[in-house]
Amino acid sequence: MKKLSVIGALVLLVLLLAKCQKAAQFPADKYDERLSGGDATVFDITSHSFGNMFPALSGYDAEVHGLGDAAFSKIFVTAPAPINPGLGTIFNNNSCISCHHNDGIGLPTAGESNSSLLVRISIPGTDEHGGPLAAPGYGLQLQDKAVFGKTPECKVNITYTEVVYNFPDGESYALRTPAYTLSNLYTALSAGYMLSPRLAPPMYGLGLLEAIPESTIVAMADPNDSNGDGIKGHANYVWDVATQSRKLGRFGWKANTASLLTQVAAAYNQDIGITNKIFPVENSFGQSQYDGLKDDPELADSTLNAVRFYAATLAVPARRDVTDATNKRGELLFKQGKCESCHRQTLTTGINVAFKSVSNQVIHPYTDMLVHDMGPGLADNRPDFLAGGQEWRTAPLWGLGLFEKVNYPGYYLHDGRARSITEAIMWHGGEAESSKVFFSTLSKVDRDAMLSFLKSL
Amino acid sequence: MKNTLLGLSCIAVVALSSCGKDKTSVQNTTVDEQEVITQFVNVVGNPNYADIQVKATALNTAIVAFLAAPTDANLTTARVAWKNARQPWEQAEGYLFGPVEDNYYDPTMDSWPLNRTDVDALIGSSDAITLTSVDALDGFSKGFHGIEYIIFGPGGTRKAADITARQKDYLKYTSESLLNTTTTLRDSWLVKPADYANEIINAGKGSTAFKTRKDLFVTIATQMAAICEEVGTGKMAEPFTERDSTKDESSYSHNTTTDFINNIQGVLNVYTATYNGAKGTTSLSALVASKNAALDTKIKTQIQTALSAMALITPTFEKAIYDNRDKISNSQTALATLQATLEGDLITFIQTNIKD
Repeated sequence: MKKLSVIGALVLLVLLLAKCQKAAQFPADKYDERLSGGDATVFDITSHSFGNMFPALSGYDAEVHGLGDAAFSKIFVTAPAPINPGLGTIFNNNSCISCHHNDGIGLPTAGESNSSLLVRISIPGTDEHGGPLAAPGYGLQLQDKAVFGKTPECKVNITYTEVVYNFPDGESYALRTPAYTLSNLYTALSAGYMLSPRLAPPMYGLGLLEAIPESTIVAMADPNDSNGDGIKGHANYVWDVATQSRKLGRFGWKANTASLLTQVAAAYNQDIGITNKIFPVENSFGQSQYDGLKDDPELADSTLNAVRFYAATLAVPARRDVTDATNKRGELLFKQGKCESCHRQTLTTGINVAFKSVSNQVIHPYTDMLVHDMGPGLADNRPDFLAGGQEWRTAPLWGLGLFEKVNYPGYYLHDGRARSITEAIMWHGGEAESSKVFFSTLSKVDRDAMLSFLKSL
Repeated sequence: MKNTLLGLSCIAVVALSSCGKDKTSVQNTTVDEQEVITQFVNVVGNPNYADIQVKATALNTAIVAFLAAPTDANLTTARVAWKNARQPWEQAEGYLFGPVEDNYYDPTMDSWPLNRTDVDALIGSSDAITLTSVDALDGFSKGFHGIEYIIFGPGGTRKAADITARQKDYLKYTSESLLNTTTTLRDSWLVKPADYANEIINAGKGSTAFKTRKDLFVTIATQMAAICEEVGTGKMAEPFTERDSTKDESSYSHNTTTDFINNIQGVLNVYTATYNGAKGTTSLSALVASKNAALDTKIKTQIQTALSAMALITPTFEKAIYDNRDKISNSQTALATLQATLEGDLITFIQTNIKD
């Protein structure tokens, strides 16, 4: 009798547990579509909404974030100098913030002090790690500014050809196609070089993107389109200089950088000309602009680490107006148009006991972190590790609606050619062609609803 | 940037609003939100940006006079004019949003540190120095601190006779370039089609910059808090903790403390709708007081506390780093307290009370 009741109780327990299991298939406790960055979400709609620290940080972590914040806005000057020496001698800009204005996306101009666009360069072939092959005398990035007395590598000229198109319902929109040419070359450049313009991307949520498990990202890949949906995303595997190993690429417009540490260190070295422990050699080494100073590395390890931590701990702005009927309609259309095949709404970060703030977070980045063929219109035709000349990483859409607030008037895509979300959508091609067609054939009311939804992100 | 409080207060607002109407709130007087906005523009923003241009014109006139007759007396006049020009500019940093931010006028006029090595190299070279060539320089090789470097010199001890012909060329065009930027900045507020003042006045009524009035008020409060953070934990902290006066912003002119005080004066200007002796008929302060008198008193007291604390940083910030340190740390504490109140209480107040 006793045995039976014990067995009965056990059966009941199993049934109850099974029931609990079932309930777990509903949105979990932490799921809230407003909380784009999970616990690392901030409620701020101002022009400074990309520059907020994770709300949960305090004490030592907050202190390091603050040091990173200060270093991020430090302006470097020509060595020797009492404060922030070491700029260049050739560079793209003189501080992090000069390109990442308000921690956001920048201005698509080159060579001005507020410019946020740089141009990568390479020649056909690959280096020993499968990456792009440096152009002799120029390296992998064009530095179009120099300190006094030194010659910039070149001047980057950007011209746009604008063409007006009409949606089937008659509403017009314009797309401007950029052309990038080089002038004032400081030395001869090998024929057949390839250029890739890259706009400074926004800074928030990077720590969360770094925390998405590799297995999650790889599971979304479908390089051979075995499900027949026309989407062939694949991971980019790249050489990570910080760890001297091959890793999944996560950052950059072509996912050509594996870790935030490498990203930050490379930007210091290539964009500002500040040597550091990961990249201890001046970007002009072997060129006529080389300073020959024995001051490398110019950046303290603690500063590099603080800026990496700063970049890893900028909170994501929360969504606005999630219950608005128009936005709900727009969201439905976004799904119907299969935009979500690549711009994945919800991902969960991995467990990380060492960095609790990004551990096990339900986030809404609207990306799959994979690279996709975006068609010839957007192509740079410059392969970057496994990302081909027409391929780009799915840009995260969280915070998209605040671009015009943070970086007025707001520019979109890898080189800022799009001046509105509509233009950005209409530039989509390749694997995204059918989604673009879906959008363009919607009624004006529905197109506006979809834009309204995107602006609520 | 630290916005823990902002986040928490937002959660608090959400939590509170779900508890229904606050029954204890007493409305003393009605303050018209639109009038608060109009007064901010008419009494603070417009006159302040106009003043920057007027003082930059006076600075340029003084520099032209010095170049025509390079005497120590004329140099002193130019130095006074430089400090006078700093005042409205630093006060305008109390509300650093709009064209000044969007069009990068701030880094063009007030980049720091100055790239002294490059400026010296340019002056030492035989390159032509013209208005066009100075305009083309990056912000960190010109602007307020470029002028300051020439007319005050390291340590602030430069004599008129020490200023070389090439330094004079650089001075002439750097001053002209600065003046032109202040003119453009002023026009971006006051003249169509930019007409940013109108964008603010029409917040919530067709303005593209501010869809709602709440947007505008949150932006104003955020910027008030941001300048407190910049002064307290940004500009003061590094030279203070490293005990290195070369890391001060206006170290050639020893104007650093005055710059800081003017920044926080800018916060007071915005909050109380005052500028240069003029006072608006209503203000953000009056709006807060009408619904929460205690909060208004708290904010005003904390602004005054911060201003008084900074006034005790003597004789100069550069010296106080070494031998008057508690005055600096007291100021930092006062600024942090004010910042927390603005980010927390004031923004919560706005989120709660400004509906449209």
